[in-house]
Amino acid sequence: MTRVALRGIRSHLGRFLLSVLAVLLGVAFVAGTFSLRSMLSSTFTDIISSSLVGDAYLRGAQETAGATDPTTGAGRNRIPLALAEEAERVDGVRTVLPDLTGPVVVVGADGTAVISGGGAPSFAVGLHPDDPAATVVAGRAPDGADEIALESASLAASGLEVGDTTTVVVGQGLVEAEVVGEVAFGAPVAGATIVFLDVATATAAYAADGTVSTMAVYAEEGVSEAELVERLEASIDRSEVAAVTGEQLRTESEESVQEVLGFISTFLLVFAAISLFVGAFIIANTFQMVVRQRQREFAMLRAVGASPAQVFTSILVQAVVVGVLGSAAGVGAGVALVAGLRGFFASMGMELSGRIPLDGFTVLVSVLTGTLVSVVAAAVPARRAALTPPVEAMRDEVATHDRGSTVRAAAGAVLLVGGVVAVAAATQGVGDAGTVLGIGAAAVVLAVLLLAPAVVPPALGVLAAPVVATVRPLGALARGNVTRLPRRTASTASALMIGMALVGAAAVLATSTQASTRVIVENESTSDLLIQSATQAVPEEVVGQVAALDGVARADAVRVGGVAVDGDATFAVALPPGAFGTALDVRLVDGSFDSLADGAVAVQEQRAQDEDWAVGDELELVGALGREVVTIGAVIESRALGAPVVLPEDVFLTLVPTAEGSIDTVFVVATAGTDVAALREEITTVVQPYVVLSVLDNEAFADQLADQVDQVLVILYALLGLSIVIAVLGIVNTLALSIAERTREIGLLRAVGLGRLQLASVVTIESVLTAVFGTVLGVAVGVGLASTLPTVFADEGLSELAIPWGQLGVLVALAVVIGVLAALWPAVRAARMDVLDAVSYE
Amino acid sequence: MRALAADPGVGPIASARDLVKTYGKGEAVVRALDGVSVDLEAGELTAIMGPSGSGKSTLMHCMAGLDSPTAGSVVVAGEEVSSMSERRLTRLRRDRLGFVFQAFNLIPTLTAEENITLPLDIARRRLDRDWFDTVVDAVGLRDRLDHRPGELSGGQQQRVACARALISRPAVVFADEPTGNLDSRSSAEVLGFLRGSVDELGQAIVMVTHDPTAASYAHRVLFLADGRLVGELEDPTSESVLDALRELSPAHAQPARPGRHADDVVQGAVAR
Repeated sequence: MTRVALRGIRSHLGRFLLSVLAVLLGVAFVAGTFSLRSMLSSTFTDIISSSLVGDAYLRGAQETAGATDPTTGAGRNRIPLALAEEAERVDGVRTVLPDLTGPVVVVGADGTAVISGGGAPSFAVGLHPDDPAATVVAGRAPDGADEIALESASLAASGLEVGDTTTVVVGQGLVEAEVVGEVAFGAPVAGATIVFLDVATATAAYAADGTVSTMAVYAEEGVSEAELVERLEASIDRSEVAAVTGEQLRTESEESVQEVLGFISTFLLVFAAISLFVGAFIIANTFQMVVRQRQREFAMLRAVGASPAQVFTSILVQAVVVGVLGSAAGVGAGVALVAGLRGFFASMGMELSGRIPLDGFTVLVSVLTGTLVSVVAAAVPARRAALTPPVEAMRDEVATHDRGSTVRAAAGAVLLVGGVVAVAAATQGVGDAGTVLGIGAAAVVLAVLLLAPAVVPPALGVLAAPVVATVRPLGALARGNVTRLPRRTASTASALMIGMALVGAAAVLATSTQASTRVIVENESTSDLLIQSATQAVPEEVVGQVAALDGVARADAVRVGGVAVDGDATFAVALPPGAFGTALDVRLVDGSFDSLADGAVAVQEQRAQDEDWAVGDELELVGALGREVVTIGAVIESRALGAPVVLPEDVFLTLVPTAEGSIDTVFVVATAGTDVAALREEITTVVQPYVVLSVLDNEAFADQLADQVDQVLVILYALLGLSIVIAVLGIVNTLALSIAERTREIGLLRAVGLGRLQLASVVTIESVLTAVFGTVLGVAVGVGLASTLPTVFADEGLSELAIPWGQLGVLVALAVVIGVLAALWPAVRAARMDVLDAVSYE
Repeated sequence: MRALAADPGVGPIASARDLVKTYGKGEAVVRALDGVSVDLEAGELTAIMGPSGSGKSTLMHCMAGLDSPTAGSVVVAGEEVSSMSERRLTRLRRDRLGFVFQAFNLIPTLTAEENITLPLDIARRRLDRDWFDTVVDAVGLRDRLDHRPGELSGGQQQRVACARALISRPAVVFADEPTGNLDSRSSAEVLGFLRGSVDELGQAIVMVTHDPTAASYAHRVLFLADGRLVGELEDPTSESVLDALRELSPAHAQPARPGRHADDVVQGAVAR
């Protein structure tokens, strides 16, 4: 029987080709995700092992923020710089190098800021002459505030050369500096822009308050890391400072990298799963059609004594072959994909590790996934084949009934009602609304998949009506073809439906988010202008310069930094107290804004309810610089200030060092009667030298936020694109196979005078009808479900529902294009069929 | 033999001259048609008989523009068919020819009426209601027009196919074993209708068959063997056709190529 199965697949390879391709694409996504993760992982591991080469590290003993970064020590209390000298006196310590790191902007040869690739950071490092992690490979180390050195990849990205002079924004101000050297790390730096300063300059910029986040300790020959830590611990105040071995810090760093990469790969795997799910529809459809065509063959096998189990197995063997072939090719394609991505990143200035790792785990998981999907998808058709009664072999006509099963429709209807009820409950805030909505949405999608065959005849009847009326008799022929086997049409369209539902939902979510942010900006920002930085950090000195301009009433800096509130690590924003009522119009729920001037803090209403806080309560705040007990002076409701706690600027600055609490935005309020447009020009001139700063009005600010949403949307669309490509393959597959199935009918049509172009038109209309059906169904489901989001997540800031009708219209138009494209090959094939061969086809 | 008597004056509705059709090359060459000339007249039902492999289907396919001859010419309704482009052939089939096949004659998704009017719909020609009624009444399907093929019996399906073949008033109707899949009663209905449409409507029909009873409905029968025209019978009866076939069978004819097919078919026909 296995031989029968293998022969079957060999002689009908064409039929399975698109199934193999579907598996290939899905598996390529899976394998690509895994090997991308491994590649990123090895890139960062290399960075960690070549930059964190100390034998021990000193760092803050307390965690102060939600996320700590072991590599930089951010999110912990800072330690005094003076500790370095004490530590150097400890027996067995060769040298102690404080980490003098902070944000930097360097202007490249083309006059614009050197932008790090792929969201990597730009930072400056104080270069200790005896730092073993960095080597000067050209020129010399910087000496003095007007000299810098650049990391090799950063130098290449900047277009500068050793000896050039350029502008650098270090810490709080602008500096003209000469590039005096090129410094190399032991590994590619993944697109980060790294500037080296001399120790004095870096200390002034990033440790002006006499604190640093970490210090690397190097041991003398023969002193082990553990011994070193023991000796250090004896000499430090262990409630404030912790000593860890180099090994531990490297492990922690790797773990935090793995955690982030885990999120990324989980995110990507979700899309890979969607693609495979969509691919499963193609495989199921293919096997269903193949089984139908070979019904008599199976009956004959049964008649000569094959058991149902043998027939079933023979089809599963074919599914395994399809799965393994597709997966193997998919693994190859995945590696190629990652190689392509690496090339793309490299061209964006983000150097990644040279190896594209492909371990046994990746291969095994990919091949198992692909094969499993294939086998599961083929199981139902295989069962049908196995149950073919032997007497079918004697029948002349292959049974062609394909009625949507009533059980299936009933299950779908029940599930649909349940799903809708759950979604409705979620909008009423029942239970954990997000979870209830998720379950309800999943039920609705599943229900629609189950109901699709029952919906096909009426829905396509309506969709096809215009074509049937205008293109006689082709429209009617096409309609007949797509409605005669509702289950097949439904599963072909379902593949597209899933992708389109997600695209539709994403579009609604994005548009609603944009509308909501716009409302927030319009409602809450009463400033005339805003200043923001492409590096998320506006230099300190800009605030003073802008405030000093004529026509500026206020320039209020919004700072963001990590602070632990009552032991719960989170982040806080800070504002000068006077900003409330001038630059910002925030709803006051309780208390008064005046209290902030006296050192009280404001808390968000939502958080206050959750934590049972009220005006007058005391909170303990812990920042990198120390701790402070404050009273709650106001309860506010603000979506513009996303943090749960809003601090007065002076309190914030005693808790968070300027190196860590960056200025996110500067709100500028003009004096009455000032020409805002002219003021904007003036401020633009002031911030021009900083290269990365932009001056926006509220409108442009909202636009910029909307652009960010659009960028995320583009990534989502790209990821969903693959599932749509697979769905298109599914349409091609179904058309091609059903044309093969209808050979004699096509021969007849041609014999009675249907022209080639007319035949091709029929196939194209079928394809377009299927694509439009899948798209309309998907968009309806996606938009319907996403429309409930603003009701469910109103508290999260998603207050407005906006449905992008234009974009949805584009999707339907896209479906028509997809339909036409998918029909190209099958239509040409059908038109090329020889009439005589077709009418006499057995 | 009238089939060979060219009469350019009156002009047959369709004619073939010295048709040769070969398949394969070199050693393996098969001559399916080996110089056949035929004239078909309006108002005449012509049956083509012969054992499998005799070339009867190939002859019909070549005359119907479904296949192109290797040599020789085919003229249908005054037009040279053998040199036509695919586009003109399609138009010829649509406007000037009708077809009835042995099985699978109808589009399963269209009703009987839609199937009948299909050639006109394809051509975007106006339906002549009177003619439609005449044809539908002749095949006796008035009460079945809204049914899908799946809801019709085999005989009814073939009658719908016949009605479709006639609806565009073609020059010639080609019927390829039209009763091959039918029981004797349904066969009689279909054949009676075909003969009637020739006698009463003046239609020209060519029918390939291996059933002597079916052939007896024809005005004349042409016999093919090994790609050649080997006999002709006017006003045939089942008996005279059987006699003629017996004479053509290997026992009487020269021992041609291994006549595997010929044996089977002729014996099958006798058994019937």
